[in-house]
Amino acid sequence: MQFAGVTAVHAAPALAIDGLTYRYPTASRPALDDVSLCLRPGEFALLAGRSACGKSTLLRAACGLVPHFHGGEIEGAVEVTGIDAIAIGPGELAAVVGYMAQDPETQVVSTTVAAEIELPLEMRGDAQASRARAVEEVALALAIPHLLDRAVDTLSGGELQRVALAASLVTRPSLILLDEPTSQLDPVAGDELIWLLRRLNEEWGVTILLAEHRLERCLAAADRVVAMESGSIAFDGPPRSFLAWAQQNDQALETPAARLFSLCGIEPLPVGVRDARRTLATDPSFRDGVLQEKGTPPRRQDPPALTARALWVELARGETPRDVLKGVDLKLHGGERVALMGRNGAGKSTLLRAAAGLVDPVHGKLDLPGGIALLTQNPGDYLVRERVGDELPGEAGLAALRVVGLEHAVDADPRDLSGGERQRLALAIALAGRMEGNELPGLVALDEPTRGMDRARKQDLVDLIGNLADRSAAVLVATHDVEFAAGFAERVVLLGDGVVIADGPAPEVLSGGWYFATEVARVLDIPGVITPEQAAETLRLNADFALSRAMRDKRRSQRREEG
Amino acid sequence: MRSPFAYMPRPGLLQAASPGAAVAYLGSLTVVAFLYSSPIVLIATGVALVLAGRIAGARAAVRAALWMGFTLALLIVVVNALVVSRGDTVLARLGEWPLFGQVDITAEAIAAGAVLGLRAAVVMVAFAVYSACVDPDRVLRALRPLAGRSALTATLVSRLVPVAAADAARLRDAARLRGPAAAPVGRAPLARRLLAGSLDRAVDVAATLELRGYSLDAPRARGRRSRSRHDRRFYATAAVVLAAATAGKLLGADAFAEYPAVEIGTSPQTLALAALLILSGLAPLRRKPRRAPSFTANPRTASNSPPARGII
Repeated sequence: MQFAGVTAVHAAPALAIDGLTYRYPTASRPALDDVSLCLRPGEFALLAGRSACGKSTLLRAACGLVPHFHGGEIEGAVEVTGIDAIAIGPGELAAVVGYMAQDPETQVVSTTVAAEIELPLEMRGDAQASRARAVEEVALALAIPHLLDRAVDTLSGGELQRVALAASLVTRPSLILLDEPTSQLDPVAGDELIWLLRRLNEEWGVTILLAEHRLERCLAAADRVVAMESGSIAFDGPPRSFLAWAQQNDQALETPAARLFSLCGIEPLPVGVRDARRTLATDPSFRDGVLQEKGTPPRRQDPPALTARALWVELARGETPRDVLKGVDLKLHGGERVALMGRNGAGKSTLLRAAAGLVDPVHGKLDLPGGIALLTQNPGDYLVRERVGDELPGEAGLAALRVVGLEHAVDADPRDLSGGERQRLALAIALAGRMEGNELPGLVALDEPTRGMDRARKQDLVDLIGNLADRSAAVLVATHDVEFAAGFAERVVLLGDGVVIADGPAPEVLSGGWYFATEVARVLDIPGVITPEQAAETLRLNADFALSRAMRDKRRSQRREEG
Repeated sequence: MRSPFAYMPRPGLLQAASPGAAVAYLGSLTVVAFLYSSPIVLIATGVALVLAGRIAGARAAVRAALWMGFTLALLIVVVNALVVSRGDTVLARLGEWPLFGQVDITAEAIAAGAVLGLRAAVVMVAFAVYSACVDPDRVLRALRPLAGRSALTATLVSRLVPVAAADAARLRDAARLRGPAAAPVGRAPLARRLLAGSLDRAVDVAATLELRGYSLDAPRARGRRSRSRHDRRFYATAAVVLAAATAGKLLGADAFAEYPAVEIGTSPQTLALAALLILSGLAPLRRKPRRAPSFTANPRTASNSPPARGII
């Protein structure tokens, strides 16, 4: 395989940014403001920060899309392996930089997977034999050889993401830029991807710059964290120092394990599950833990909002129909907050779409006596007009806006709203007219609502879900985000290949496994303990228990000595 | 929702053939459809294309093309019957119509419309089989040295079509999910939203092409040309079809007259040409191996067909 710019690769930093300020063509303020950053070859750096803080723009500048593709005003210098990224375009940089954007659907340009992965090599002029070998190797590395002959438009989101990554890696670039690569992946695939990146970093010496919101997933794999705030770099250092910085400056960036340690006053803050377990294991007061008393979930008296009996749904993928739901039995009651989880392709979205009447079951019964309001994965699809009030006219529209707390934005343009507000507006559009007075529909369903959201916005969504449930609606949320599920759900339904494989109280389901378990549950391995707050309480109990036992032992030994 | 006309990699001979061979084969049958007016020959051409499509595994594409083709044919028959009043066999006199004048429905005008419609349906089936069985990546790859910018535009468009189709499906779903009190979404706002979204998508797809090095002037790899061992079969079939069609035309196999009375020639030449055309539809049929292999081979490598990703 050829390696473009080999001499430059070893001599120069993988990425050197100096005093970079950039403003998009129509923006009033710069997206990047005096950013300086240097990544050495072989580093694995994590780019953290809240939504719209400039992470994606920084990645685009590093691969040449900014300013060559997006236009705008730019100052400063960007060099990739010694090549001036501002002077030359992304096409020339493609030999040394691999870039993977957030949306995998627009990142495939060929018809079949093999052709897609082969394209960059063909453009570079590699020989046929060399191309075939590179495609085979990258497919094996990403565990996708079975997809090579598939048409790209028959792939799931997770599969597409892997294919896009394979196309970025196939030229063996020295720098890989990834913008939330796990946003559409289930916890299993997300973890696998992060450790695959770590392996590529260690074995191939590839420099990695990864922008991600779910820091708990990738902090342990990173050598360094760069945190951004309003277009500038607010922190740059090792992961452990980053956690200390986040504790002081922005708690929304803390990982759950670090939050647990902060609450308990334990030092040092852990960068991952193994680190946390090791620290706790050295402290005897945490070693002999007591189990928190397992509470039984309250039995719901509200009438059922959704009843599915022996539900089978068949969908055509390509020309071959397959059963996506296989005899699902499910009952949800009013006021319940339920997380619907499972691997990519397990049937979560299909269940929601069947409930909303977008797909017809081939067998079984669905009963929704109070109706349903479904918010699909892309809230923007609901917004077609240029004024909020035009989307939701009349008193019924205003009532729906009130439910989501947007009554003040009647005259706003939906495009001027923040991402979270747009999502709430889309939910209001789905709710409008389905409420009787202030009474919500029986079931409010949300499909993957946290894609690309930072933790602060997720907390707003948790509050909104709580508000909806308090008004007697059953809230069903399909999500891959385990920590988010732990934050809002009282019950978790786990789907596996179209079948309900677990259904129980959230603390039980989210602490009973490895992948579909919160970071705190993986650290402590105490059944029923899934959030930092619960865990801190448990550890305090443990500490008290250990202390009282130590004091009791001491008193006994004193008595024995006296006797 | 996937379009039935979208290319689907399958282990068929038509898919394995080089784009040139596939285009020659399907193009020869399309040429016959344009060259001939004899309903017998047109039906035979249609049967050949349906056979070819079904053997190649493009059943959904053929079904959709037939449905669309016959709908269009019906429309042509109705319009032709209303517009043309020639012919001896008057079935109905509908009197004076505004714009049309005196409207007489004749059997001959219906037959003439049916032949036009049949031709349109046959051509649609040919394009459907092409679309579902010929890998556009290989076509674009073949075109790229000849016209780089056109190939880039074609790549962009060919990728944007399924992306726009997926966007449209999502927007339709979202429109169905709007609450009854939300402002209804008509076709115009939906189309506007789709257009705006498509422009954003086009920018994203173009950015991806740029990042894959599509704009590079690097020397293209001089790999082996995209050929298959089955090419000869398709080129030979195309040559035989074109030769027979030309000979048939000269020998009067296209005997058909709509006016003043419908006359369909059933000469031996016409029937022989029809039989040959139907047989040409079997070209993508895989021959059974003469002897069963004595070992269990890896189906991906030992298949009679080359891998769908193309270069053989």
